[in-house]
Amino acid sequence: MGCPPNCGLASGKPLHKITRFEHEPISAISTNALLSPFPSVLYFMINFLLRRLLALLFVLLIVSVLVFFLMNAVPGGPFSLGERGYTPDALANLERKYGLDKPVWERYLNFLRGAVVLDFGDSFAVAGNPPVTAVIARVWPITLHVGLYTIIVSFGLGFIFGLVAAYYRNGWIDNVVTLIATAGTAVPNFIIATWLLLIFGYQIGWGQPSKWIIPPILGTGNAILSWDYFLPVITYALLPLGLVARYTRASVSDALNADYVRTARAKGLSERSIMFRHVLRNAMIPIITVVLPQIPNLLTGSLFIEVVYGINGLGKFFVTSITNKDYPMIMGLVLLIAFFWSITYLVTDILYALIDPRIRVGGRSRA
Amino acid sequence: MMSSRRARAFAALLIGAVLLAAVVPLFAQDNVDVYGRPLPDDSAPYADQVWTQLCDSTRTESSLSSVVSVYTRICGDAQVFDRFGDSLVDLDENLNLIPAAAESWSVSEDGLTWTFNLRPGQVWSDGTPLTMNDYVASYRFMVDPVNAYDFVWMWQGTIAGWSEAVAGEIPPEEIGMVAVDDLTLEVTTDGPAPYLPGTLYFWPPLQAAALAEFGPDYLLDPATAVSSGPFILTEFVPGDRVIIEANPTYNGYRKPFLREMRGIYGDQLNGSFLAFQNYDIDQVSYVHLSPADFEIVAADPVLSANYRPNFGDFRTDYLLFDTFTAPFDDVNVRLAFAKALDREAIVANVVGEQFAIPAYSFLAPGFPASDTDGSLQSIQGFDCPAAQQLLADAGYADGAGFPAQELKLRGESESRANWFVAAAASISDCLNVDITVNNQEFSAYMEGLLARPTTTQFGAVSYGMDYLDPSNMLGVWVSTGRHSWRNAEFDTLVEEANNFTGDPMERLEMYKAAERILVEDVGGIFLLHRIQGNLFQPYIAGECFRPDNQGVGALHWGNDWCWGSFYITADVANYPTYRSR
Repeated sequence: MGCPPNCGLASGKPLHKITRFEHEPISAISTNALLSPFPSVLYFMINFLLRRLLALLFVLLIVSVLVFFLMNAVPGGPFSLGERGYTPDALANLERKYGLDKPVWERYLNFLRGAVVLDFGDSFAVAGNPPVTAVIARVWPITLHVGLYTIIVSFGLGFIFGLVAAYYRNGWIDNVVTLIATAGTAVPNFIIATWLLLIFGYQIGWGQPSKWIIPPILGTGNAILSWDYFLPVITYALLPLGLVARYTRASVSDALNADYVRTARAKGLSERSIMFRHVLRNAMIPIITVVLPQIPNLLTGSLFIEVVYGINGLGKFFVTSITNKDYPMIMGLVLLIAFFWSITYLVTDILYALIDPRIRVGGRSRA
Repeated sequence: MMSSRRARAFAALLIGAVLLAAVVPLFAQDNVDVYGRPLPDDSAPYADQVWTQLCDSTRTESSLSSVVSVYTRICGDAQVFDRFGDSLVDLDENLNLIPAAAESWSVSEDGLTWTFNLRPGQVWSDGTPLTMNDYVASYRFMVDPVNAYDFVWMWQGTIAGWSEAVAGEIPPEEIGMVAVDDLTLEVTTDGPAPYLPGTLYFWPPLQAAALAEFGPDYLLDPATAVSSGPFILTEFVPGDRVIIEANPTYNGYRKPFLREMRGIYGDQLNGSFLAFQNYDIDQVSYVHLSPADFEIVAADPVLSANYRPNFGDFRTDYLLFDTFTAPFDDVNVRLAFAKALDREAIVANVVGEQFAIPAYSFLAPGFPASDTDGSLQSIQGFDCPAAQQLLADAGYADGAGFPAQELKLRGESESRANWFVAAAASISDCLNVDITVNNQEFSAYMEGLLARPTTTQFGAVSYGMDYLDPSNMLGVWVSTGRHSWRNAEFDTLVEEANNFTGDPMERLEMYKAAERILVEDVGGIFLLHRIQGNLFQPYIAGECFRPDNQGVGALHWGNDWCWGSFYITADVANYPTYRSR
């Protein structure tokens, strides 16, 4: 059964069971709301956002402590590269140059002081030792470019596939979508990438520069979409596409079977109205729960996709900065990722409330 | 006397001839390089004289110059670094020292002072002359503790004052390296060092003026980059591409036919052969070819004809011990392990005989002082019954009571890790001892190996030369080196040979005696000497491929002059390369 006994009938807006917000301290929020001269909903929202942002800072602090001390505890350092190793004098010079001659706690405090003003230090591993923020600023737009296309393709197609599969569930369309979704989630992207490269990159010769799918709007501007992005985006999109398709199909199928849909049909509402006003709205909550957390992954890149396709993006740094013991880069990227995940969950919570007005951040409902 | 009419006719004829002589080459010799030299007859048009290689997009990178860093050179395998100047010396195809930027050198009678004479007329791309002051500035940069150079060991104990300067005890200006004048460099050493010129061969200089004005990263920006070498930087996008083009002001010994060299970043380990097959790149090193790739190469007559094996850096793969603690403090145990290793079977069945030869000592055949007559072969040679007896003599009959061992590897590729898995299996099968293999991350392995006391009781690793002299290869085994093995007699012999200025053959005999000690005392178990190689596209040609005195025509390690000889043949038109897309 997709709906509690009392759902949907009175308001036409059934309530899914969302446990995520039940842990928020209702009493504190209520007390603050009573003291406020402003309308409680607005105050409540501002209060919520401030508390979540404070919590975000706390999360970043904890993450930074854990990662900083863990990475310094791992055997091997950024300079254990030589065949012979270094003489003590040479090693001391290297450590002094990169500030590694100080105690770990002192280095952490130095890092923290810099991080407050978004100065994560200079990369050990990138040519010229540029600041970490400069490296991120240079390569992240490239990854964002790929990530945004991937989101558009995977979320767009996945949603449509899932919707159609649910509507024609148990038919051949459903089977085809299930096959694609299962393959997308089950086959590792390095297998997919190798095949795509072999078939399209090698045999057909796609992936050549200067071949535009959507050319630059201005003659000298950047291309909107080139074949350069085609294979990486397809490779990258298959997993989230499969996830979105599967969850959309499951959620929409549940909603289509719900009592309130049957009631709506009995009341004579059109299929279109039922689908958009009732089914989709209720199906969105589980979809959002699963789909939104994919976004930080997609926007920060993948080592494999970027290395295989020669994309000079941010993703490869997530692994290579660790293998190269590029401490400043590790810290910068970890905090970036932690920030993204925190923001994503915040946005997810807000979207819950927007989609279902009875869900209130902090566990307070309007009813 | 000619009549005026005849004189006018003659003058007109003369002027016409001069004009014709000036104009005709423009049409007849349109295929000339940036120096105005005609390209070889079978070469492709100059526009196609481009060379592209793949760079590893996952490595730590810092500089295009070995003066700034050796271990973190940009596009380290793609040969686009160190093209912005010439070292003082180079190696010919037979690995003999030949003049490069220096036209000659000599040593004082006491063997302590070397004088290098710079070839006159060499200039930087900004028009200023190349002088020995540029070399001095470069070496002072390397020794300066502030710059934390990663290869300072090269001259520690060799160039006078080098070690003290690295330790910050004296300023870099006080090392034993002085520009007597613009064309003369004087190097003084702590003791006689007959190998010194060989150690100077892969350090093209930085420009002293640019170094002072912009710092060492001036080479990373085309706006500030200057070059006294065959190429000059035109574009560098970190992690994406490095493009260098022929330096028109270059006046050195290896003027390139190539118009441009490119390093493009990608999946070097897994993508090199695919890119090669797609004609996106022109050369692949053997380290980036998998066993499956090699099967394809071997089955294809064109590919196999263009795979050119060479000695490389005379690299030897071997097993090592912590000989300061039990059970490997007992030489019988070490020798038992050595004699339990069936190298022939491993090379034949696991490695492949085209990629290695079994090793019974450290110095590979062909390297100075190597065991050319095979007199060391029987010491560590495979003999399982003898190995079992040695282990029994050590108190571990049939392996009973022998502690389980972990063979640590240094971040080896899957195929190389298999070599050592086979080695562990060979020893384990023969001696009935328990050995597991742990392929560690590179830096973690090195940290454990170099720790004192070491945390690597039993490990495997490889080593290749940095310069062609036994002082380099055997120097890694002295008690101050990276191994936990000590033999006073070995140390003394190597030290004496390093400083020996008498008969070179006598010096080599001293190294041979030292290596015998190393093998007999089982400082390590020597598994194999690698045969290295490069796969070239069929349209690559050049004097570089002329056979050496062993009949091998290849790009040898250290043959920097080769890059002045390579060119793209007209045959390139028959292939769908990146040039025609």
